[in-house]
This record gives sequence, C-alpha cells and structure tokens, in this order.
Amino acid sequence: MFFTDLRSALVGQNALLLGTLFNPTNSDYSRSFAYSSNAAQINEVVRRELGSLRSAGFTNNGKEIMIETVVAFWNVVYELERSGVTTHREHDEGYWPKVYAAQRTVMGLVCRGFNTGGWANWMLPMLYSTCRYLREFAMAADDEDSKAENASSLEDAARHLNKGFTLCLSDRAPLPESRKWGTYYMANILFKTYFKLNSITLSKNVLKALEALGKDLPPIEQFPKSHIVTFKYYVGVINFLEEHYKAAEENLLTALQLCKSTASSRNHQLILTYLIPAHLITTHQVPSSDLFRNYPRLRTLFGPITAAIRSGNLQAFEAALEQNEDEYVKRRIYLTLERSRDIVLRNLFRKVFLISNKSTRIPVEDFRKAMGFSLAGKNGGLRKEIEAEEVECLLAGMIYKGLMKGYISRDYGKVVLSGTSAFPGTGV
Amino acid sequence: MAAPPWRSSTGGVSYTAVAARRTLGGPKPGSHAPNGTSTSSPAPAGSSQGRTTFPDKLKQYVARTFEDCTDAEKPQVEAELKRIITDAFNEKVVWTVDWDKMPLPQQFIANRENEARSSGEARLSKGDTSPTRRSFGAFSLGDKKRKSPEQSEAKKLEKRIRSDNSYSSPSDELSQSDKEKRARRFGLNNPTPPSPQPSYEPVDTSKPLVGRCMNLEKRYLRLTSEADPNTVRPLHILKQTLELLKRKWRTEQNYAYICDQFKSLRQDLTVQHIKNEFTVSVYEIHARIALEKGDLGEYNQCQSQLANLYAEGIKGHKYEFKGYRILYLIHTCNRADMNDLLASLTPAEKADDHVKHALDVRSAMSVNNYHRLFKLYLNAPSMGAYLMDAFVNRERLAALSAICKAYRPDIDTRFVAEELGFEGDHDCITWLIENGGEEFIKQTTDEKGAPTGIRFLTSKAAATVEAAKGKAFHKVDIKGQV
Repeated sequence: MFFTDLRSALVGQNALLLGTLFNPTNSDYSRSFAYSSNAAQINEVVRRELGSLRSAGFTNNGKEIMIETVVAFWNVVYELERSGVTTHREHDEGYWPKVYAAQRTVMGLVCRGFNTGGWANWMLPMLYSTCRYLREFAMAADDEDSKAENASSLEDAARHLNKGFTLCLSDRAPLPESRKWGTYYMANILFKTYFKLNSITLSKNVLKALEALGKDLPPIEQFPKSHIVTFKYYVGVINFLEEHYKAAEENLLTALQLCKSTASSRNHQLILTYLIPAHLITTHQVPSSDLFRNYPRLRTLFGPITAAIRSGNLQAFEAALEQNEDEYVKRRIYLTLERSRDIVLRNLFRKVFLISNKSTRIPVEDFRKAMGFSLAGKNGGLRKEIEAEEVECLLAGMIYKGLMKGYISRDYGKVVLSGTSAFPGTGV
Repeated sequence: MAAPPWRSSTGGVSYTAVAARRTLGGPKPGSHAPNGTSTSSPAPAGSSQGRTTFPDKLKQYVARTFEDCTDAEKPQVEAELKRIITDAFNEKVVWTVDWDKMPLPQQFIANRENEARSSGEARLSKGDTSPTRRSFGAFSLGDKKRKSPEQSEAKKLEKRIRSDNSYSSPSDELSQSDKEKRARRFGLNNPTPPSPQPSYEPVDTSKPLVGRCMNLEKRYLRLTSEADPNTVRPLHILKQTLELLKRKWRTEQNYAYICDQFKSLRQDLTVQHIKNEFTVSVYEIHARIALEKGDLGEYNQCQSQLANLYAEGIKGHKYEFKGYRILYLIHTCNRADMNDLLASLTPAEKADDHVKHALDVRSAMSVNNYHRLFKLYLNAPSMGAYLMDAFVNRERLAALSAICKAYRPDIDTRFVAEELGFEGDHDCITWLIENGGEEFIKQTTDEKGAPTGIRFLTSKAAATVEAAKGKAFHKVDIKGQV
C-alpha cells in the first residue's frame, strides 16, 4: 500500500500525498510498511518497487537517492513501531535518540536529493514532513535524555533544519521550478526551533539571511497563506521582544487578518497574546471586553489587568500583574505589560483633572491623595501615604513622556495644565 | 655507538652549567651551547641516528640511576628518568648531552623537594616584605601606563628567557654569574625554572592535574598550552594564597596586583578542576573586589562562573550575587536575559534582601520613578551601590531630562540634589557643570544682595540635558559581556 501510493504520488506529482507518506507517524501506512520487510531485505524491496521511477522524470542519481531515502525512512518507521508493539513498557531506553538518529539520516538524504539528485520543487512537502518530524523526534529525544548531559538533539536538529532553509533560499533555478517557494515554511520551522531553544539571536540571523537574499524571492502574498501567517507571527514576536513595538504590531496584525476566522482560535489567541500588549504600548489603548468573548484564555490573561488600566486602579493593577506574573514571564510579556503602569497613572491623574472640573491649576496634594486611594484599592485596604516628592516625580514622568501637557510650579505646589488638551488623546 | 665528531672534540668542558640548574627538567637552555663549534641545531645528529637508538652514555646513565635505588623510590625515580629522557629526545639533544655529567633523577627529585619546602616557608614567613610584593608595587591603578624600570626589565627578561629557551638557539652570551643572577631574580616571580617547556608526561585530560608549585604568589599568564604541574599550586597552597591576598588587599589596596593574583589563582583552580566552596569563595571575593573598583569586565567573568558553581549546588552567597546579577542586567539593558532571570526566581530568592532590592530598582526604573530609584541607590545592601554606580550617571541624566521638561522656569539645585541622590549640593552642582549645565546655573539673591540659593534654569537647559542623556544611553558596552 505504501509503495503503490508512493509510486502514484511520484508519477502523478501529488505533492500532498507525498508529504503524507513521509509522515512516519501516519497510522494509515506505518504499521503495514514497517512489517512489510526486514532490515536485510528492505533495500532490495525498495529497489524493486521503485524500479520504474525513471519514467516519472527522475534522473538515475535522483532515483538512487530516492531509494536510499525510502530505505532510511523505513528504518525510522520500523524503530517507531518495533518498541511500541513488542514491549508493554513505556519505551526502551534510548528509544527516542535512536528514532531521532534514523530521522536525521532521512533528512540528510532528502537534502541531497534536492541538491544533487535533481528532485523537482513540487516535492518540497516531502522536505516539510521530514523537517517537522526531525524536530519532534529531537525534542522527544531531549526529553528522554534530560538527565544526561549530552549536547541537545534539538540543537543538532536546528543545524540540519538550517541546511534545509538554505537549500530553499539560495536555489537559483527560475522561479517556477525554484525551491524558493519553500523558504517561508523552512524559516518558520527554524523560528519554532530557535524559540524552543530560547535563542532569539539565531532567529534574527534567519531574518538577516532573508533580508540579504530576499529580493529574489517572489512577493510574500504569492506564498501559501499558512506559511505567511506563521511567518508574520514570528517576525512580530521577534520585533516585540526587541522592543520594536510598531513593527511588531504591524506584523501581528497582518497575521491576525490573514488567519482564517474558522481556524482554531488557538492561533488567534497566540497572535493576540503579543498584539494586545504591543498595541497598549503604541497607542495606549486596551482591548474592549468584546474581544475576549471568544477567547476565554485571553480573558483570564488580560481581563483583570486591562480593567485596572482602564479605571486607573493602581492596587488592582499591581494585583493583576502579580497574580499572572508566572504566565506573563513565561510568555515574555511581563516587562512590556509592566510598562503600562504609566497608563494606569495617566488615567488616574486624568480622573483628578475631571473631578476638579478641568481646572488648569491643580495642587500636587490632590494628585498625592488620589494615588493614596488608588494604591489602597477598592476594598478599603490601608491608604498608603505617598511622599509629595514621589508624586512630583511621577507627574514629571507623565509630562516628559507627553502623557500630560503642562508643568509643575514647585514654588506654588501646583501643576499647571494645558487648557486645550491636558491629557492628549483622551478627549480632554 | 660513537658520538658525532664535533661533539667528542669539545668533551664536557662547557657542562659545568648543569650544576647551576636549580630544579628539574631537561638540560638547561644554553648549557651545552657555548662549545661554539656549531651554532646550528644539534637536531640532525639525533635524527640521523633514529629515535629508537640510545647513546651508550645514556645507557650507562640509566644503569647508574638504578644502581642503588630502593624499591620504595623506584616508581618516582622511573617517572623522573622517563621525563628526562623523553625531554632529551623531544628537544633533540639526546646525542649532545653529556650523560656522564648529568645529575641522577634522584637528585632532581631531592632538589625539587628542598626548594619547594624552603620557598614555601620563605613566602609564608616573609609576608609583606617579600621582594615580589615590591616588584608588583610598580602596578598602581593610576599609574597603569608608566612602567617602572624594574618592571620593564623583568618583562624584557621574561621574554628573553622564553625565547632563549629553545634548544635550537644555543648562543647565550650571558656569563655564568649573570645567568645565576637572572635565574634568582626571575625565580622570585616564577617559582620554577624559567622554562615554559611542554609538559613532559603524556597528558591524560580525563584526570585532573595536581600542581606541585609551592609559592603563594604567581603572576597571571594566559595559558597557551597544557598547564605545567610545576607552575600550578595545589589546593592547600591556594588556600594560603587566598588568605595572603585578603590580607594584602586590606592593607595595600593595590588593585592591579590583586586582580592579577586572583586571575592566576582562578587559573590554578580551573586547570586542576577544583570546584568546591573554596572555589566559590575565591570567585566571590574577586567579584566583590572588582565591583569595589568598578571593574565590571572582571566582575562579570566571576559572576558567570559563580552562576555555574551555584547551579552545581555548591554553597555560597547565592542570593547576594543574584541581586548583583539583576543590577548588572539593568546596567546592560539586557531585556531578554532579564526576562529569563525573572522566570527563574524562586519565592525564597524574591524574599532575600539583595534580590528584593535589585527587583525594586528594576521596577522603579521601569516607570522612571527616579525618586524611588535614588533612595534605593543610597540604601543598597552590600556591594549593590557599586554596581549601581555603573548606571547612576545615565539615570541621573534621564531624571534631569524629565525635571527640565516638567518644572518651569527654574528649580532649586538643592531639590535636584535630593531627588538625584547626591550627597550634597556641591556634588550636584559639580555634576551639573560636568554635564554641560554650567550656563544654566544661577545664583539668586534677596533685595539686599545676600545669596538666597542656587537655581537651575530648567526650561533653558532642557535641550542640552536631553542631548547629554541621549549620549549616556548610547554607550553600554562592556568587555566580556554575556
């Protein structure tokens, strides 16, 4: 069955089917394929089954590499199946490292097939499948091996994936036949891997490579949407972590808009996890509660903190920040969200201004009291006394950042606010 | 087997030099050379004979060695003998050395032990008056570029000795007494004969090396090859070294010397794979001293080693240094690492004074709360303030920028001094002047002309201060950055 479908995929140039076939965990094929032969005979079997490949447009070398690849792939499937069936224990020791090593052989052969075997670019999904499982097996191997101090398999995988990326990016064939069409898929899988390895710097290297050679790439709109969405998401997150919030927002927004509305809301939530804080920094706007309606996870993550920001409640803000600290830090948004304390303060001071009937001369003392109440919180905690100098310092910060318009007259102990727009962008 | 003709003619006349050798190892550089009959390398003679044949004289030498050798000392003697012969082969002098005059291995061992013992004692008892200290005294912090004659001579000699040391450059014009004098002087800075010779034994990298050097002090020299056990101090000596260095730092405060000594101390620990609480305390003390002197590059090296040592579960002042690490990350504006560090903090760590202080600093800075920041600066625990020194200037400029924009038209400099954590008005005004604010400082007087205060013209100064701030934030660059 495997060979029948493989032949028909190769002859009929069925890219989708080819990709599916090289998924070693695909239960439609794996069991029967694994037990269709044994280590001694598999070479001969594959050679016989794929004997007619030259008629499908393969060069002799290309055919030879394909045979080797399928043999190597059988090894992976066999390794996977064998332990799963023969033992009732979890897995033998060294199970995943063995599977990973086998998959790495497949990876090497697939790269060679494209590089020297003249494999056509419609076969790229075969590369995709191979890379995908290379990464997964590497992670499984690392999990199993976590106690040993071996070099990480995932790091090793990253190097092989990078070869796959270069294989696509630097192909010089004319566009219709070019492997350049695989560039973004490969970039994405690299990003994914580097993020897992906690190495943002390496991700930036991918972006640099794209920048250097990217002018020859087809316009990004012509790539499959799924490639674009993931790519834009990662570029957005990288910019976010580099504190380039404007660029982050643009990329994340594109990703969100391209992301099918019927798609799982998981992707939306992932994108919004970074888009919401980025938007908060660039525009000082918090999301409306409507946004959370379909995303319960986002509601727990951002609901309390955005409510605190909106109402200028310092105590609630601190509480929300503290409550979700672990999750925020894990997603690397803590330091960004923390910066929105400015907005809480702005909203609080704005309230003082409104309560004073928009008087343009407000005693520093009034702001001090307001902060005391806000820090105590709604539930009547102890009102905290803030030093007047600290309030002045925070006011100075507001003015410096353009969140308030006016100046402090220290001799009179007053803040003199602009008559036309004391709090720019908030309607007053 | 006959010796080469040019060798046999000169005989052993020039080999009196051998006796002058102070410790061990192969023949002394230059000792065989002054025979003058040949300035070319003796190597061809050795190689033409093939490496597996031995001169008869050497065979006799070996026989002499074991003549009256007890079973107890045999292993040690064998090792020593092997070393001598291997060395002779390596240096291609096996055919040129006069084996008749070569001291027996036993003698090398005895010499070495004697010297090690006596020099170790001397170092300990002499303490501060040791000449080593005096030669190091030439390094002083403010005097880095100027070298005292003594020191530069030592440098020159060191270089000279090293280049002289290869057997293929046999012309050594120093007289015997000069050589001895030189060896003595050099020996003060270097416990072993001035020969960075390749190690004699085949190096087994899986087994940690154990040093044999008994001197407390040692100059730091970056290793370019396998460490030589003769120049490496074993753990019990290093412990004495640390005490000595602590004492010296208290009494002399000579940072260049201390830093150099600590680096060699760390090197000796590293090459011997010593990782224990002593190692931790060495790094901690060096880190603290580096902090005190504002040497962030050196501090950072210690810090990263400490992180590894703590991670292996070795006890030390983990929390204190975690606090410093946070402050350091603030200084370098390293957000990615800061995020990782925050993610790794445990509740116990967060409750520690050092960590808490550093976290407060971070959170004050995240909202530009300079009022709180400089209060924390003045109340930093342990060495925290030294680290904060690194970024305090930059943050003061940032704060002054905000003050200039927010207060109009001017402000009392005393207020600035208080808000920016200066110890007095005077310091503050000096700082303002240093940052180009001189023209914006104005003395105010009452009607009678008596001075009432010093004001800073905030509105007018805003642009200047903003520019200074931009510049200050532009350069955060440290060697050895991680």
